[in-house]
Amino acid sequence: MAFNGNFMCTSFKKELLSATHNFTTSGGDAFQIALYTNSATFTAATTAAPFGGGNNEVSTSGTYTAGGPAGSTSTNTLAAAASMPAQSGTTAFTDFADKTFTSATITARGALIYNSSAGAGSNTANCVLVLDFGSDKASTSGDFKIVMPSPDASNALIRIA
Amino acid sequence: MMNSLNFDLPQHENVVSVLTTDGRGFTPDELAEECVNKIISVSDTALPGIRDQARAFSGLVEKLVAQYMREAIKSDRTTVFNAIKDAGHPELAELIRRL
Repeated sequence: MAFNGNFMCTSFKKELLSATHNFTTSGGDAFQIALYTNSATFTAATTAAPFGGGNNEVSTSGTYTAGGPAGSTSTNTLAAAASMPAQSGTTAFTDFADKTFTSATITARGALIYNSSAGAGSNTANCVLVLDFGSDKASTSGDFKIVMPSPDASNALIRIA
Repeated sequence: MMNSLNFDLPQHENVVSVLTTDGRGFTPDELAEECVNKIISVSDTALPGIRDQARAFSGLVEKLVAQYMREAIKSDRTTVFNAIKDAGHPELAELIRRL
């Protein structure tokens, strides 16, 4: 049982076709990130973010709040990168700004990005991406920063070419 | 022929990186390096003259960003100092000013 790479959730692809997700910076859905230990197992078949220690989510520490906190102003909410979604050539893309949890003691192997808005449908934790950090990453009473790729047509997290 | 859309993530490449600290936050120098890496990308296959010039420019921008970050920290500390002093905690405010 362990992380086994990055995945774009298949349910997310399907939900795109039913206009479930809105990545517009202003007025769009809220997207959050949840952190997990290497005991978690996620694949492209993952549909919803499971929360709590029983599901291998890391514990609340510093500005990270376990349990899928409600509301778009939660400290787990991701800010969109500037001017997203965007397009370049024939590629459309969207991305998030880097996320830092401060004053945190965290050991995490990976993360889920999910749509936490009510607009996402009856399931309030619709999965978007599974991210594998490649190895355990740890902070101790410090900053835990997830550096997102550059928001461009070649690197952005979500690209449709 | 049908067009297809493909937007899967590379499964076994790091698409995000994670940076952590122990017992402190990131320094202006560390953040400036990250900032410049997002702003300026220099290809290893660029012509040597152009590549060297771009890297030199990148280094200058990094120093400038770090300098302004330090100034922002000092300025914010002044704001925090005054807010805490005005709230009736001059000794705590002084401790923060001396950080």
